[in-house]
Amino acid sequence: MKTQRAYTIIWTILVVSIALVAILPVIMMFFASFKTLEEIRSADFRLLPKALSFENYRVAFETGDWHIYYRNSLVITSVTVAFALLFNSIAGFAFARLNFKGSRILFLLLLIGLMMPPQVTMLPTFLIMAKFPLAGGNNLFGAGGHGLINTIPGIIIPLVSGSYGVFLCKQYYENFPRSIDDAALIDGANKWQLFFLIYVPNSRVILVTLTLLKGLSVWNDYLWPLVMTSSESKRTVQLALTMFTSENVTQWGPLMAAATFVAAPMIILFLFTQKYFIQGIVTTGLK
Amino acid sequence: MILPAYFTFTCFILVPIFLIVYYSLTDYNMFASPNFNSVKNYMRMATDEDFLKSVQNTLVYSLFYLIPQLSLGLLFAVLLHRPSRFITVLRSAIYIPNVISMVCVSMAWLWIFNPTFGVLNHVISAIGIPEQTWLLDPAMALGCIIVMSIWKSCGYSMVIYLSGLTGIPASLYEAARIDGAGAFRQFTAITWPMLKPTTFFLLITGIVNSFSVFEQVNIMTNGGPLRSTTTIVHQIYRRGFLEFKMGYASSMAVVLLIFSLLITILVFKFGSKGQDTDIS
Repeated sequence: MKTQRAYTIIWTILVVSIALVAILPVIMMFFASFKTLEEIRSADFRLLPKALSFENYRVAFETGDWHIYYRNSLVITSVTVAFALLFNSIAGFAFARLNFKGSRILFLLLLIGLMMPPQVTMLPTFLIMAKFPLAGGNNLFGAGGHGLINTIPGIIIPLVSGSYGVFLCKQYYENFPRSIDDAALIDGANKWQLFFLIYVPNSRVILVTLTLLKGLSVWNDYLWPLVMTSSESKRTVQLALTMFTSENVTQWGPLMAAATFVAAPMIILFLFTQKYFIQGIVTTGLK
Repeated sequence: MILPAYFTFTCFILVPIFLIVYYSLTDYNMFASPNFNSVKNYMRMATDEDFLKSVQNTLVYSLFYLIPQLSLGLLFAVLLHRPSRFITVLRSAIYIPNVISMVCVSMAWLWIFNPTFGVLNHVISAIGIPEQTWLLDPAMALGCIIVMSIWKSCGYSMVIYLSGLTGIPASLYEAARIDGAGAFRQFTAITWPMLKPTTFFLLITGIVNSFSVFEQVNIMTNGGPLRSTTTIVHQIYRRGFLEFKMGYASSMAVVLLIFSLLITILVFKFGSKGQDTDIS
């Protein structure tokens, strides 16, 4: 009994310190956002700021047009997620339920997308977007203009694709009882009605999970918007963060403030939807 | 019904794979039309010291990032796999770095690693170790990036391992206890073999992820000092999008593709062999 208690105490100390170390850099970033530059650079380190000052936030907001960056990020994330949800769930349903010709081969081919770093196809995708027909001064054959380079749709369109979501939905729909299919088909429903009237209303868990995972990855994405955009007005919040650092000078205070308000939406979202986050990762993680 | 998803997949993943192989055999530079120059790009790569260094760095990064990251994830999962009132808070605390963007955490760690006023130097000088220059030191920069990346993603491995742990029937542990197995023996005889599929999954996704390491490198060191942190994707980005040598960058991407497919297939072969014997 005594050893059991001693064990519990050791365990508590251990896990609490691990959790503290894990979260500490985030907390330090948060507190540093209220510190003055002298305080950040001072030789004696203190976790808490001496006085609560919102000066850094003011400076950060005044540097650049944050409402534009937020709007861009928000538009890119929500549109991408909406299309990805629609396309992936339909395809997942088809792979799980309709035994069409070549479905196995097509699905295996899709898995290549999971085994390859997405950066491999970045270059040709960029070139495809530059040659996008009938956009940005291009003619029907994609010549003449700059296509969708440096546009918001140019960022969104390639991000919609992804094997991950299809895979996730297929796994989920395969666990649905087949008897509901039969019942619906006997009642005269076609496959679209079956999907939209029976499957979609019953897939809240997977759709929320997919929204969270895809939304997180798109919101946090850095490389693709970096190569696609060149003008100020198309920047996303992640790109905007980098404007506080330059080769010689880094505005530490405003940088920490900006990093805090770029990270905050995702942290808050995570805290409110933990259950789905963890569940989603677990379902994708296994099998 | 698979048409919309498959269309985007074909356009932005399948076709680009073919295109990249094609471009890798040309001297395309975005301004003039591509000329076929067969394997010249690959020959050049073999003597390009920046590229060779980046391959080495990527492999070093993958090895020294994956193994500690998975071990820590497993350790945390085992520690946190027990009922307690604060378990959700503890798990969330470890998981939160994973939901913050790489840009944000790179910025935070840039400050932590700062040689003049960074927290890390405060800490180590307090316990009597001389101050270091961290990211500015060619010998340490890659290590610093690895530490930061492990910190960011071990929460993810922890969550996956936790899901694996909940799938292990409690009766196995009971039987082991009756047979007199201690905690360590239970781990080696039950937990580890039962978690093989989980480890296998984490290994595959981890390899793909670590082969494509870029963001933290570009933000924290920009490949320096003295190329000590440049990675394959960083080289692709520099050559392709800053120097517009699309053909040459494409051949690097092809090398990256072959590398990741090869290793994934290898792990698949090796991993599935182990699985059959262990689950029985």
